[in-house]
Amino acid sequence: MYRILEKEEIAPKHVKYKIEAPHVARKVQAGQFVIVRAFPNGERIPLTPVMWDREKGWIVLITFVRGKTTLKMANELKPGDALLNVAGPLGNPAPIEKFGRVLTIGLSAGIVEVFPIAKALQEAGNEVTSLHVTPKPMVILKEEFEKAVSRHLVEGFEIKEGWGTKEIVNEIAKRGAERVRKLLSEEHFDFILTVGPAGAQKAVFEVVREFGVPMHADLHPIMVDGTGMCGSCRVTVGGEVKFACIDGPGFDAYKVDWDELIHRVGFYTDMERRALEEYLKSLRGE
Amino acid sequence: MAVRRKLIKERVPTIERPPEERIHDFKEVNLGYTFELAVKEAERCLQCPANYAPCIKGCPVHINIPGFISKLVEYRDDPDKAVKEALSVIWACNSLPATTGRVCPQEDQCEMNCVMGKVGDKINIGKLERFVADYAREKGIDEELLFEMVPKIEKKGQSVAIIGAGPAGLTAAGELAKLGYDVTIYEALHEPGGVLMYGIPEFRLPKDIVEKEIEKLKKLGVKILTDHIVGKTVTIEELLEEYDAVFIGSGAGTPRLVNAPGVNLNGIYTANEFLTRVNLMKAYLFPEYDTPVKVGKKVVVIGAGNTAMDAARSARRFGAEVTIAYRRGEEDVSAREEEVAHAKEEGIKFVYFVNPAEFIGDENGNVKAVKFEKMMPLEERDARGKRKIKGTGEYVTIEADTVIIAIGKHPNRLIINTPGLEVDKRGKIVVDENLMTSIPGVFAGGDAIRGEATVILAMGDGRRAAKAIHEYLTKKRENQNA
Repeated sequence: MYRILEKEEIAPKHVKYKIEAPHVARKVQAGQFVIVRAFPNGERIPLTPVMWDREKGWIVLITFVRGKTTLKMANELKPGDALLNVAGPLGNPAPIEKFGRVLTIGLSAGIVEVFPIAKALQEAGNEVTSLHVTPKPMVILKEEFEKAVSRHLVEGFEIKEGWGTKEIVNEIAKRGAERVRKLLSEEHFDFILTVGPAGAQKAVFEVVREFGVPMHADLHPIMVDGTGMCGSCRVTVGGEVKFACIDGPGFDAYKVDWDELIHRVGFYTDMERRALEEYLKSLRGE
Repeated sequence: MAVRRKLIKERVPTIERPPEERIHDFKEVNLGYTFELAVKEAERCLQCPANYAPCIKGCPVHINIPGFISKLVEYRDDPDKAVKEALSVIWACNSLPATTGRVCPQEDQCEMNCVMGKVGDKINIGKLERFVADYAREKGIDEELLFEMVPKIEKKGQSVAIIGAGPAGLTAAGELAKLGYDVTIYEALHEPGGVLMYGIPEFRLPKDIVEKEIEKLKKLGVKILTDHIVGKTVTIEELLEEYDAVFIGSGAGTPRLVNAPGVNLNGIYTANEFLTRVNLMKAYLFPEYDTPVKVGKKVVVIGAGNTAMDAARSARRFGAEVTIAYRRGEEDVSAREEEVAHAKEEGIKFVYFVNPAEFIGDENGNVKAVKFEKMMPLEERDARGKRKIKGTGEYVTIEADTVIIAIGKHPNRLIINTPGLEVDKRGKIVVDENLMTSIPGVFAGGDAIRGEATVILAMGDGRRAAKAIHEYLTKKRENQNA
């Protein structure tokens, strides 16, 4: 059991948890993730430690509320409660090398994972520009980024009336691609790293490819165990089948089969919606 | 010695739920023996002397089988006493009898050369073992035995770390705890049990039984740390600083994939993923449990081992029409006879001599069919005695909206990347005759060294390793005292 030391809603749909998990805190590196199980009948979900204290033994996780598990966590967990399982750290660390001028891009809640990586890249002697593409009310970690990297940019937009998740993600992809095109036209970058929804990452990648800048993409396929056992998270990279949990989660964006990834992440959408609806019904006492 | 009776040639049948009933749920298929039936079956045993008995020789952990069977007959008027005596005979060699009684391939081991087989049916050793374990658990007799055992354990003051809470690790842990070592198991998943929890379905091995077997280990003082991935959370080098010895029982968890186009289409599962979702995460109870699984109307399972049968029978319970597709012929099916028979009773179709060549998807990236190359058998046999096959250049397409690939597993990759740990080219950890790896003080067993075998062989390794670790640590103690 892993105690929740603090919990805070830092923006709409974004909840920050400070968790006692010394086994993870002592080892985790930027780019790695953990698998969390919060409830007895619950699923295992991958989340990324955003900050940590090796001595004090805590990690910070930030969830983006989008399905039953993240909503139930937001609704039901309080400081003093505990997560049932926090397994990790899993996956490989991000490439923290001296590249020169680096652009790190967080698409929507992907910014959460960018934070430790951007910070580590800056500490490794790079000049890091970070970019957060997001609906305006969901600007998060702005001050933290401003302290950690050379320059932090926010590409924010208003959510128009009647927009659902699909329209928002499309807008993130569009805005992200446009802003990256502008940046790359005006400045030189040696290395680019992205985290975010697969469709938006692909849109950004297509722009980056025109400029030929090396790009590393952290991928989020569906996972179950996160330890290389099930193959749910398999992705095609450079024509080979890779498991994102143990071979990734980051890969050379030029080698990723993006369309396949986009199909795979959507496989359970209908069942995820059903689980969420049933939970909402139970909240209403139906 | 039991008195010689008239030979009873026929096996006392166990109670099995009819296929038309059981394909609608995940409850156990075989209901086992009652005490009366168990005694009747036990009476059939010829009681071969222990130094001859082929059943003991055939058992990877050498349980005194005639010994435990005779207790059932001897104390037939006092069922509790009979079971307690029988259980202590079994426990001397095997700490997980409720599990092995259900999942061991008895027909290839203890029952294979049973003398009764020469005149009639072989003794149903598996079901008798299972009966003893189940009755003991239900009546609290196993706890009683445990209470008697625990105070007699002399603490050695040395500690052992076990990697993986599957059959090998649990067995090694139990044996070492009984010998007085402080044992801590490091388990990557959120539940201990390994393949017993994530792999073998509820209808073959109910999970509450596995949980209770693990509870017994905890009562012996074994500590279990879940969520700890050795190789990530902690390294073997770090374990060696903290513990006097290490045992690796990390299993063969890496699924093998078919090397054919379209293998990443949606709806194509590895057996590991499918079974993990269904068993460990209880996806068959979605949405009461959060983890989803998608089982279409037409399921094709590729492979014909026990895992393939488990996957096929699980899919059947979701209401699917299920076909097992195997590249060899019926004679080379590697699954246990009982599993194949159960699968057939449950209406699962078998197609032989077909090898997947391509997975065909629809416009949304979902699988809709599998194109197989027809194979033909050759006279020649391979090293495992299976008939060699070759492609015919002819193809057949089978419709499928779900495909489960069950063609085998490799050892887990995270652990084998340990510096200094010698592994062979297939990723199997190399060990000496005492199951010690290339790192002194680090032992290994089960599928981590075998590639892919059975629960009981892993348990056998766990026992052997425990013995070797005991010898190793005894020497270490003596050297320190000298």
